[in-house]
Amino acid sequence: MNKQEFLTQLRQELSGLSREDIEERLTFYREMIDDRTEEGLSEEEAVAAVGCPKEIARQILADAPKKADSKRRLKTGEIVLLVLGAPLWLALGIAAVAVILSLYVSLWSIVISLWAVFGSLIACAFAGALAGLGFALGGYTFSGVAMIAAGIVCAGLSIFTYYGCKAATKGLVMLTKRCFVKKEGVAQ
Amino acid sequence: MDIQLKRGLLDVCVLAAIKDEDSYGYKIIKDLKPYVELSESTLYTILKRLETANMLTVRTAEHGGRLRKYYHITNVGLHRIDVFKNEWSEIVSIYRFVTKEDEPRE
Repeated sequence: MNKQEFLTQLRQELSGLSREDIEERLTFYREMIDDRTEEGLSEEEAVAAVGCPKEIARQILADAPKKADSKRRLKTGEIVLLVLGAPLWLALGIAAVAVILSLYVSLWSIVISLWAVFGSLIACAFAGALAGLGFALGGYTFSGVAMIAAGIVCAGLSIFTYYGCKAATKGLVMLTKRCFVKKEGVAQ
Repeated sequence: MDIQLKRGLLDVCVLAAIKDEDSYGYKIIKDLKPYVELSESTLYTILKRLETANMLTVRTAEHGGRLRKYYHITNVGLHRIDVFKNEWSEIVSIYRFVTKEDEPRE
């Protein structure tokens, strides 16, 4: 067997390894054969001294850390997938962020509308009281009393609403804080 | 021989072979031949391991119209040899202890 045959056969036998690993091994064995021929051996003798490619490959494959190799190949595959899938996962990522953001905004809008309800109840209470007073003084006693009663009911409801609004706002602020702190923790 | 023990010994052998001057694969095998028979694939594995452990560095140089890899020992590698020398006295004393039983008892 000459050098070229040896190297070709060894390359075939090592096909399970990564490309750079194979090249490095072949360079190593090529050098070993060349150094022997330089010393005066014929090419065939030099190859025979290095050994049988099949046996060498068997030893190499037995020693080779297969896990690291497959890991590396998986990594390359992952990178390719990541690049090829960029239009997809980028769009999905943006969509996910948008969904989360819109949920958050709608939570705040609920709180804001609760406060608006609170505000309008207070306005109704005052308006009811004033209008009722006006009606009563104008002679429409029954209507006036009804208006004032409605105003009082609104005032009572507004007190309930106030506590509800306060609790909702507090809850949302706390949620925001927690998310923010968590993100900060991850960043650190 | 115990694989772990042999591996450690071979590492130090290869380091010793490049201690005084940079050497290359075939020369290392030749230099070690009187002491230990080293196959090419074994040497490759050892050189890789020592390189990963920063005990030697590799450089490629031209030689007779082709490229040859030369291995150069680092301070870490020199330190490994020193450690081995110190370990050896320990191993010898363990050996004495183990073989004590063989001696005729008084």
